[in-house]
Amino acid sequence: MIEERQLTLIMENKPGALVRVVGLFHQRGYNIESLHVEPINDFKPYKFIEDELNTKFSEGEISRLEIKTTVDDPLMRQILRQINKLIDVIAVSGNEGTYLKGVLRDENLL
Amino acid sequence: MKLAGNDILIQSLIEEGVEYIFGYPGGASLHIYDAIFNQKEMQHILVRHEQGATHAADGYARATGKPGVVMLTSGPGATNAITGIATAFMDSIPMIVISGQVQSHLIGTDAFQETDMIGVSRPIVKHSFTVDHQSNIAKIIKEAFYIATSGRQGPVVIDVPKDLTNPVDLFEYKYPSEVNIRSYNPPIEPEQSQIDRAVEAIIKSKQTVIYAGGGTISSNAAKELFELNSYINAPITNTLMGLGVYPASDKNFLGMLGMHGTYQANMAMHNADLIIAIGARFDDRITNTPEKFAPNAQIIHFDVDHSSVSKIIEADIAVFGQVKNSLQAMNAKLKSRLSEINDSRLDAWRNQIAEWKEMHGLDHDLYKNNSDDSPILPQAVVQHIYHASNGDAFVTSDVGQHQMFAAQYYHFDEPRKWINSGGLGTMGFGLPAAMGVKLAYPEEEVICITGEGSIQMCIQELSTCTQYKLPIKIFNINNLALGMVKQWQDMNYDGRHSSISYEDSLPDFTKLVESYGHVGIKITKNSQLKAGIEEAMSIKDKLVFVDIYVDPNEHVYPMLVAPDGSLKDMWLGKGEKT
Repeated sequence: MIEERQLTLIMENKPGALVRVVGLFHQRGYNIESLHVEPINDFKPYKFIEDELNTKFSEGEISRLEIKTTVDDPLMRQILRQINKLIDVIAVSGNEGTYLKGVLRDENLL
Repeated sequence: MKLAGNDILIQSLIEEGVEYIFGYPGGASLHIYDAIFNQKEMQHILVRHEQGATHAADGYARATGKPGVVMLTSGPGATNAITGIATAFMDSIPMIVISGQVQSHLIGTDAFQETDMIGVSRPIVKHSFTVDHQSNIAKIIKEAFYIATSGRQGPVVIDVPKDLTNPVDLFEYKYPSEVNIRSYNPPIEPEQSQIDRAVEAIIKSKQTVIYAGGGTISSNAAKELFELNSYINAPITNTLMGLGVYPASDKNFLGMLGMHGTYQANMAMHNADLIIAIGARFDDRITNTPEKFAPNAQIIHFDVDHSSVSKIIEADIAVFGQVKNSLQAMNAKLKSRLSEINDSRLDAWRNQIAEWKEMHGLDHDLYKNNSDDSPILPQAVVQHIYHASNGDAFVTSDVGQHQMFAAQYYHFDEPRKWINSGGLGTMGFGLPAAMGVKLAYPEEEVICITGEGSIQMCIQELSTCTQYKLPIKIFNINNLALGMVKQWQDMNYDGRHSSISYEDSLPDFTKLVESYGHVGIKITKNSQLKAGIEEAMSIKDKLVFVDIYVDPNEHVYPMLVAPDGSLKDMWLGKGEKT
């Protein structure tokens, strides 16, 4: 079923990271309805990522990106997996669950 | 130790064990080339066009498993390399591409020879870096090699502004011993629960087929695959990219599958109750119409890339991890349950497949016809090459009918010996790729099977072969036209041959190669074929170009019926369908 979905990404705040995500939507034939990105300063909600990846975020290092897109269900899983493959993406979450660099969690954690 | 940016870059490549850099200098890379001049550990191979550099590095990578390294200047140097980078990307080949860039303060001003290389190459790289400071060069090189060679491998571009390689400013240099990228952790070990499920399915299956692709070669898992099938003893097919990963001479081998796969391989896939997909991605040249693909089969899919699994064909059991590690886990489990694997479970299935092979299998004895009453068949050329090289040469190919004939009739018993552009289908790949292979293995026989269309796309590299004394054997299967396009026009456009012919304007290839200092041999009759090919193989110290005039009307069969066909729907000859 085609419906509007929201995806949330946590990614490295590096030059070129955003355009890789946006470019991927275009390359794979998906459309972006809306997009919002900003650096994260409060890391408390993302402690589970720090624990899982055994890292510590510092100020200005990571961004949160929200994308609204309209796709059907099977495509959504493809999008999540393709985004998760981008080197600068740390985690991506949608209705299907959360991808955290290879690890799939069955709930939307972001 | 303090070094300038250009020396940091070159020292870092030496630290990575790079033997060859394939490249072409220019304004933005002058500082880097000065650093190349001042060292002895690596050899720079000067190509004649940057596309040749990328294919040569690619051929080197496919043959050795080590990443190929390419050095470019900015602007046209960088954009000339795009086709080669895309070729490596589609086939998941590890490659490091270093492109010079205009000085930092000029970026974005439309400076001389400025191109946004990171932007242009973005969709066709695994990752890319822009060097922002000399002190980061070593770390970027380390990360680039790690990314290119781990997980699903691929090309990585590093764009280097000229001012950051200037020889004046010195910076502390120490090559990092470790690499850790928190946002990049490709899977290695599989989940045991999936292994258990896979083994369970194998024990129960009565119509198993193994479908192994290029990922099995990338993961260096040929030995593990062979061991796996020593327990299962199932029919096995390889993709175009996977040829050689399982010995073609083994009794279980069905040949290649897909668009021009063998009848028995495609029929086995269509009728299987269990398909074990290993490092393969269900490309459209394999599945034909996905909705009609293998209607009764359960699918086990081994892959390192999450996004390849259930992309085209839904997997019932997905095993993520390095294929090598996953197969090792499979082998341990299968060994422990050996008594439950009843070999006779597949007897009826094997008989059925033998029957298919008997009915419409390929004829591997076409080379025995030496009568001049009929034109030379391109298939027979490949068969002669196979016998004359004892079946153990490295064979590169270009793209088109000759590529399919090579894949069908040269039987590869080892991985990394068959080097071709599978995913992108890049004409012009064969000759430069053969140069990369020959540099990697100077003592081995390296053959390029090409056509008169493809060879002209990178023919300038004949000059590079002279400079570096690369005695490659080139077999030009000359049908005076773009054969594969012509075949499609014959079959789908009522024989309207639009723009596929250049008969009156072809060069005399033997004279052309002789002008470069190579040896040219021309063959026009069946009776000359065996002796001509053997003569070429006997010349060890020179590049030999054998121009072989074949039947211009020959088609490649079998061929899947499209659109809307399944894997059991094949053309078996002109006007003859299953």
